[in-house]
Amino acid sequence: MIHMKNVCKTYENGAVALDHVSIDIAKGEFVFLVGASGAGKSTFIKMLLREVLPSEGVLQINGHDVVHMPHGEVPYLRRGLGVIFQDYRLLPDKTVFENIAFAMQVIEAPRRLLQRSVNAVLDVVGLRDKYKCFPNQLSGGEQQRVAIARAIVNDPAIVIADEPTGNLDPETSWGIMDIFKRINTAGTTIVMATHDKTIVDTMKKRVIAIEDGRIVRDEARGVYGYEN
Amino acid sequence: MKIRTSEYFIREVFFSLKRNNWMSVASIATVAVSLFILGMFLIIVMNMNRMASSLESQVQISVYLKEDISKQDVKDLQDDLQNMQGIASVTFVGKEKAMERFKERLGDQKFLLDALGDTNPLPDSFEVTVKQPELVKTAAAAISNYSGVESAKYGQDVVEHLFDITRLIRIFGLALMAVLAGATLFIISNTIRLTVFARRKEIAIMKYVGATDWFIRWPFLLEGIVLGCGGGIIAALALRSAYGMIAAKIYNTLAYFPLIPTYPFLNYISLTILLSGMIIGALGSTISLKRFLKA
Ligand SMILES: Nc1ncnc2c1ncn2[C@@H]1O[C@H](COP(=O)(O)OP(=O)(O)OP(=O)(O)O)[C@@H](O)[C@H]1O
Ligand SMILES: [Mg+2]
Repeated sequence: MIHMKNVCKTYENGAVALDHVSIDIAKGEFVFLVGASGAGKSTFIKMLLREVLPSEGVLQINGHDVVHMPHGEVPYLRRGLGVIFQDYRLLPDKTVFENIAFAMQVIEAPRRLLQRSVNAVLDVVGLRDKYKCFPNQLSGGEQQRVAIARAIVNDPAIVIADEPTGNLDPETSWGIMDIFKRINTAGTTIVMATHDKTIVDTMKKRVIAIEDGRIVRDEARGVYGYEN
Repeated sequence: MKIRTSEYFIREVFFSLKRNNWMSVASIATVAVSLFILGMFLIIVMNMNRMASSLESQVQISVYLKEDISKQDVKDLQDDLQNMQGIASVTFVGKEKAMERFKERLGDQKFLLDALGDTNPLPDSFEVTVKQPELVKTAAAAISNYSGVESAKYGQDVVEHLFDITRLIRIFGLALMAVLAGATLFIISNTIRLTVFARRKEIAIMKYVGATDWFIRWPFLLEGIVLGCGGGIIAALALRSAYGMIAAKIYNTLAYFPLIPTYPFLNYISLTILLSGMIIGALGSTISLKRFLKA
């Protein structure tokens, strides 16, 4: 599903963000990406989205050769990935429903599926009754749930999240994690970068720890392993 | 493109024009002014060209014959000239006829000729016209080499001056057109840049969820084309009425002036102006979007 071999990333200014990273993530896995600030987690995530290109190495996702793919293929790689950020990134002048539907419209998904798919993901994140609200009428946790709904509405094989609970209180964070668990149980692979020790320690999922761009630990049922 | 998608694009363009209403109006106005001036130059240059070539095609070559030429030689020469390539007509003007014309031209001052008494110093001549204006020069040169021909002359100065002026106007016009096209491109691309900026979050999300570049590009491209087209329509309408008015004035005062007839000429000009507007609009938005679609 995700295959990385000796992937390096050096930014234009010379900063080495990833250093010979090799990793395989199989379908249906739930993976935490942990590490201190500046370790290279976001770079890892951006690489999966092909926002940054590896300077070296092999990267294959869902059968796409990310390093050598032509520019025109990038959208099709991304259609197989659902992405969630710390800051939600909802469109403020669109309702909850419209925000989610937007993700389907812009890839020209069949219109007859629109209503049904959006309602289905609203059920998954438990916001069916708020579909008419605008983002500024929602709490942070609710906004993040809308963002999750948007990420999964096109039924991606992999959901990628960069500190999705970074702005949320513990209780709300658990609500988000419950949703992730459910999505994962339904067969979707999940890769989540996080600083949240409690979540990682409690979930007992695979943990990949990065330090200075290198993988220093990769455990099937790991723990956070740092003091915050 | 699917019907539903074009519906979406049209809605996007409409909202964006509304959101940027002042910028939109300003860019349409700029495009209109630029294209109007552009069109004016086009009209002037084309008219000058036409005037020059119509003058030139009217130009006759006067072929003056030597004094001692025999009747038979004149006949032979006329046949020779008529058989020359590119010659439209050859008319013989005898010296008596030439004198008559000369008197006519002198009008009241005919008495000047009294001093000549009965002698007629004017030579026999041919009036030769050519089929294509470009041929005047070479034909005149060739004809003057025939034996029995004293000289072959035409109004070369007038024609050449006119061509010089046309060339000058054309160069100046081209330079001005380039500057105006640049200015138009600039203002359209700036307007589109505003739209792109207002919608940068949307664009970012579109890219994350896998919208293609063309899907992202179309609304902006359409907006640019609409701006260019809007300005083009105004410019074309203004040009039509301006040319109509000027043409009417000129026909009243200078009936023989070889102005290009309004139709279908104005239709071509309008089409050119509209197309230029649309192309400039599309180019302008392409420039603004380039940076955003890189990553
Ligand atoms: N666009 C960039 N240009 C240059 N250097 C960068 C860029 N983005 C990140 N870096 C550098 O690469 C390294 C890894 O950054 P990255 O954002 O991946 O860390 P992170 O693990 O996500 O940190 P955090 O936990 O604070 O989000 C850092 O040293 C950072 O300064
Ligand atoms: Mg980060």
